[in-house]
Amino acid sequence: MVKDLYKSFNTQNGALPVIDKIGFEVSPGEVVTIVGASGSGKTTLLRMIAGLESPDRGTMTLDGKAITGPAPERAMIFQHFGLMPWLNVMQNVVFGLKSLPLSADEKIQRARESIARVGLMGFEDFHPKHLSGGMQQRVGIARALAVRPSVLLCDEPFAAVDAMTRLLMQTDLLGIVTEQHATALLVTHDIEEALYLGDRVLVFSSRPARLIEEIPVLIPKPRSPEIRTTPEFQALRAKVWRLLQEHTK
Amino acid sequence: MTDVAEEKAPRGRRATMGARAISATILIVILVAWEIAGQAKYVNPFFFSWPSAIFQASWKLIANGSLAQNLVVTAYAYLLGVAAAIVVGSALGLAMGWWKTFGDIIDPYVVFFSAMPRIALFPILLMIFGISDTSRIIIVFIGVVFPIIFNAYIGAKQTPRLLIDAARVFGYGDNQLFVNVVFPAALPYLIAGVRTGVTLGMIMVVVAEFFGGSSGLGQNIAQSAQLYKTPELYAWLLFTSLLAVVLVKGADRFERWAMRWA
Repeated sequence: MVKDLYKSFNTQNGALPVIDKIGFEVSPGEVVTIVGASGSGKTTLLRMIAGLESPDRGTMTLDGKAITGPAPERAMIFQHFGLMPWLNVMQNVVFGLKSLPLSADEKIQRARESIARVGLMGFEDFHPKHLSGGMQQRVGIARALAVRPSVLLCDEPFAAVDAMTRLLMQTDLLGIVTEQHATALLVTHDIEEALYLGDRVLVFSSRPARLIEEIPVLIPKPRSPEIRTTPEFQALRAKVWRLLQEHTK
Repeated sequence: MTDVAEEKAPRGRRATMGARAISATILIVILVAWEIAGQAKYVNPFFFSWPSAIFQASWKLIANGSLAQNLVVTAYAYLLGVAAAIVVGSALGLAMGWWKTFGDIIDPYVVFFSAMPRIALFPILLMIFGISDTSRIIIVFIGVVFPIIFNAYIGAKQTPRLLIDAARVFGYGDNQLFVNVVFPAALPYLIAGVRTGVTLGMIMVVVAEFFGGSSGLGQNIAQSAQLYKTPELYAWLLFTSLLAVVLVKGADRFERWAMRWA
């Protein structure tokens, strides 16, 4: 749960507000997506929830406990993957399990399952350099999933992969998240992505980011890519587009 | 991706057989021309000798054990100086990159000593330690340590923010970050520093032996020149060069092994 959050950056021209009184809640098992223009502060919000930055004011709690710093219970998927280039796929996934109270064998077992789940079986010994962008992000997803986080944070997870791969991976991620009843908070500037993946879409204004509207997406899961062409989906898409246009300077 | 190693051009593909054959031919032509020019006195053999005389002298130095004896002396100062420089330089450079204030404090000194011709410090060492292994080891250390500090420093400072964030998200504390992220991320830079150090150390030890040794490869080069033993002079020069090639190739191998993920 996030309540009355404020954040500004110090610049040469004084404080630049990036987040202005944002509050929302994510229920267990729910996928909430945040859509907003590029540079609207939505990534900053996610980084604060991850514990990488601290808010100026406001509170953030997870299961009733205040968020004070990074922890694997809030594992994150990064836009540019953030894999360690010197580690192979298996080692990268095990890397994420470092602070979990598991034996080395258990970690490898978990990593193996997670790697299989994202479809990278047989690539355990590959280094990131030898994988495509989409495959690298699969490793990023496997690494985050392996820790079984309370909430999975996704920062523009498919913005850096090509369009074809993006469509496939959106469906894959949706499948994994649905199957594991995972709670997820995903930030994107792609309206379709936000609607396709989210149970609820939070529409943000451009800087400073304000919550304009919450739009529930009542299309049942599991969803297939075809739902994007339904009139229902298209109507939602048009609505979000209109909201963003009205609130973007 | 912000992959540090990608910025470096890959070490080129292997030379073709044709290129190798031409290289070898050029070498043979030069050696033959030198031999003829030297024996026929087209060039002054007093200064330039000729290949067969040099090979003879080389063989004699190998056979009578001089080479082995002197090699040990040079290698001792070299290896100790370089090893100490790698350990101290890496530790200091990484620490400078990690603790920003510490880095800012030490940085001007590193810049000063990196720029200075450090061999110029050798007379001071001779004054303090005399003509000894100690003074040679120290000058090799001083010569080699600065490029290593510098590279380790840059490497640690340039650890991609994203990798640090990723590690933090998965619960890595400061110490774990240093060991698991900053050090491996700085490794390509560190190894580049070591490569520079390997050749620089060779220069330092040879020059130090010129005027601060009683034996060793450098001392024998200097002595042969003073006594006008030209073939021996070239023989020692050849040994020194071959040793340098072996060291550089060794450093190459090590780099390829340590950077096999890049």
